[in-house]
Amino acid sequence: MVSIIGFLFLCLSIITNLFVVFANIINFFKLSFNKIIFISRFATIFILLSFLTLIFAYIISDFSNYNVFQNSHSSKPILYKISGAWGNHEGSMLMWITIMSIYSFIFSFVKKIDESLKFKTIFFQSILFILFSFYLVFVSNPFLANNVNVSDGLGLNPVLQDPALAIHPPALYLGYVGYSLIFSFAIAGIVEKKINNEWFRVLKNWSLFCWSMLTLGIGLGCYWAYYELGWGGWWFWDPVENVSLMPWIAGLALVHSLFISKGEQVLTKWIVFLSILCFSLSIFGTFLVRSGILTSVHSFASDPSRGLFILLIFFLITGFGLTIFLLKMPEDKKSIKLLLLNKTSSLIINNIIMIIACLTILLGTIYPIIIEVLTDTRISVGGPYFNSTVLPIMLPGFLLMSIAPSLSWQTNKLKNYKYYSLVLISLSVLIVFISIFTYLNPWLFIGLFLGSWIILASLIAIIFIEKKSFKLKFLKNINAYIAHIGVGILIIGITFSSLLKEENDFSLNVGEEISFANSIILFEEITVESKNNFQKLRGKFIIKKNDINFAQIEAGKNYYHVSKTITTEAGIYHDWFKDIYILLGGQENEKWSIKIYNNPLVSLIWIGIFIMVISGLLGVTKK
Amino acid sequence: MKRFIFFLPLIIFIIISIFLLIYLLQKNDPKNPPSALLNKEIPKFEVKNLFDDKEVITQENLKDNFILLNFFASWCAPCKVEHKMLFKIKNDLNNLLLVGINYKDKVNDAKKYLQNEGNPYSFVGLDRRGMVGLEFGVFGLPETFIINKEGFIIYKHLGPITEKIFNEEIKPLVQ
Repeated sequence: MVSIIGFLFLCLSIITNLFVVFANIINFFKLSFNKIIFISRFATIFILLSFLTLIFAYIISDFSNYNVFQNSHSSKPILYKISGAWGNHEGSMLMWITIMSIYSFIFSFVKKIDESLKFKTIFFQSILFILFSFYLVFVSNPFLANNVNVSDGLGLNPVLQDPALAIHPPALYLGYVGYSLIFSFAIAGIVEKKINNEWFRVLKNWSLFCWSMLTLGIGLGCYWAYYELGWGGWWFWDPVENVSLMPWIAGLALVHSLFISKGEQVLTKWIVFLSILCFSLSIFGTFLVRSGILTSVHSFASDPSRGLFILLIFFLITGFGLTIFLLKMPEDKKSIKLLLLNKTSSLIINNIIMIIACLTILLGTIYPIIIEVLTDTRISVGGPYFNSTVLPIMLPGFLLMSIAPSLSWQTNKLKNYKYYSLVLISLSVLIVFISIFTYLNPWLFIGLFLGSWIILASLIAIIFIEKKSFKLKFLKNINAYIAHIGVGILIIGITFSSLLKEENDFSLNVGEEISFANSIILFEEITVESKNNFQKLRGKFIIKKNDINFAQIEAGKNYYHVSKTITTEAGIYHDWFKDIYILLGGQENEKWSIKIYNNPLVSLIWIGIFIMVISGLLGVTKK
Repeated sequence: MKRFIFFLPLIIFIIISIFLLIYLLQKNDPKNPPSALLNKEIPKFEVKNLFDDKEVITQENLKDNFILLNFFASWCAPCKVEHKMLFKIKNDLNNLLLVGINYKDKVNDAKKYLQNEGNPYSFVGLDRRGMVGLEFGVFGLPETFIINKEGFIIYKHLGPITEKIFNEEIKPLVQ
């Protein structure tokens, strides 16, 4: 019953959007723009109700719904019942179109933009909505009825039962899907020839918001991989990670380009192109993951028809976007002022670097597909390729970003260059000294230097701003510097955690002690405990330093009865400087196999990402 | 020339789309990912007999016969569905030796399962920690490999073997 209501709301929403589209092409009711926009808001209300209905079906464990039966279980905690609604393919696609609709809903309230521009944007947004909702209705309907009468469901994949993962998909989708609005708005701008200062301002705010959300989503994904997957790391150059990184980099380039334009109408072609690219890459990523071409934790059981359908959507949207772009190419009103070293030229160099990085990742991701089509051999491109191509490409960009915000728009001069040189020289001397007295490999040297230089340069810039205060308005003004400090922290965290990682395998009896990373680890006991929907096996470890017990870690496995799966629960001792990360393996002749990692400065990664997200959001609210 | 640059994204995009389309149409059935081991020698492994833990077999013992290597477990519902089919395979193809690998299961559960459902296997190996499954790149249960007399994996199937798969894919390979 609940499913029927949900499906009904979905249909109502599609009909409303169809109406909006047709009212634009042949306006036989002679409705004004405002009336049509008003009607379009109902589509959002309907789809929201539809999505809430699905969540409700999950909460009450309505197993007459096939989707609920497949992905939920009555003994699950309530949080995971709710997140189960988007922890599967069909539900997450419903969330995709719901978010898409919410974006146009909020956009319809934006003031101070040309009415026809707003109207065209909502028109394109409705078309996108219809395309995706057809996909939902025909090949992945979350409201199918279950044709057998069952007493309980099959359960949510246990690795997905994690708080970080409950919010990872919504955040990621706020980014991915948000780019649909950027796309519609950019296309509306060139079709209506309304690319003016207002257009730039609105585009900047929305793209910054999408980018921040995408950053948050990717960050949460990394956090989850680190704590839940138990692989001892947080980034694996997995194809699924790569496809989320591509729109992220394109979005970053877009935000920076909009910053160069500063409301003056320069680089228009490039900006429109990036707007199209961001959304295309988002759909491209969805396609690769959902078609089952890439196998990973994200590939839900899928059939080939879905892949074809998303490929068609990808083809239509991107093809349309790029064709319109070619036909109605906007012209710049002003020319940009390029000097040897001014803000504009450094931002453009940064843009070029980002696009090259993006293309490199794209190449690495689709290369196996191309090779398999051409030669029928299966190869995989992994970490070594990306580490040795993408990282060196990014390096000059990182160097530039340290001083770029302080460069002048009009001249080649760097304000307060004396201070910068002083700090740069003392930092270099300091790091050279550190590298003489300790063992530093070249990458560690580069990472440490870049990270701290970016942080220091941004701090200098903040110090020299007149009228400092701790008011929100001031923070908004310096948000670019704050974001760059976040990147600096992130770089240091990444460098240390990946290069100074220690990893060791042990085979231990209960009660045995080992020494690891300047401390003693005691394997105290093994416990088994039954919980509501799973069974817990835990090994208790005590970390000692100078005979003082300073931490206790529980590492183990969970066994989920319903889905008959075992998840690894890494035990992590966490402080600001390092993580001790323990994985409990299997047992053989009384001895347990145990893997211990020492990951230094991982917390800096999360802090850096958090700062980037916050400063991005600060920028959205900036006037 | 300048014009060409603007067409470049569209051209790249179309080429990528074509490749993706071909890839999608060609084979890629996500339910049956191709095994990297296909047409390669079977990996090294060692399993104990489920009923007698002193008896061990390794990859060497599997040579000189056509072998159907079947990964199963008592907790796996599709395995139960497939089980009857295994008896039929055993009856129809006399030259095929059925070897079962009990995957991530409890010894007692596995024994009980084979008692209730019958035992079509000539040998049942015990892979409690899933290490053999790891060697074979097992995606899910049931999963079946066919190994020829030279010890090469010539066929792999993920999911229950059905009548159709048996007649159309397995029979021609072995006969």
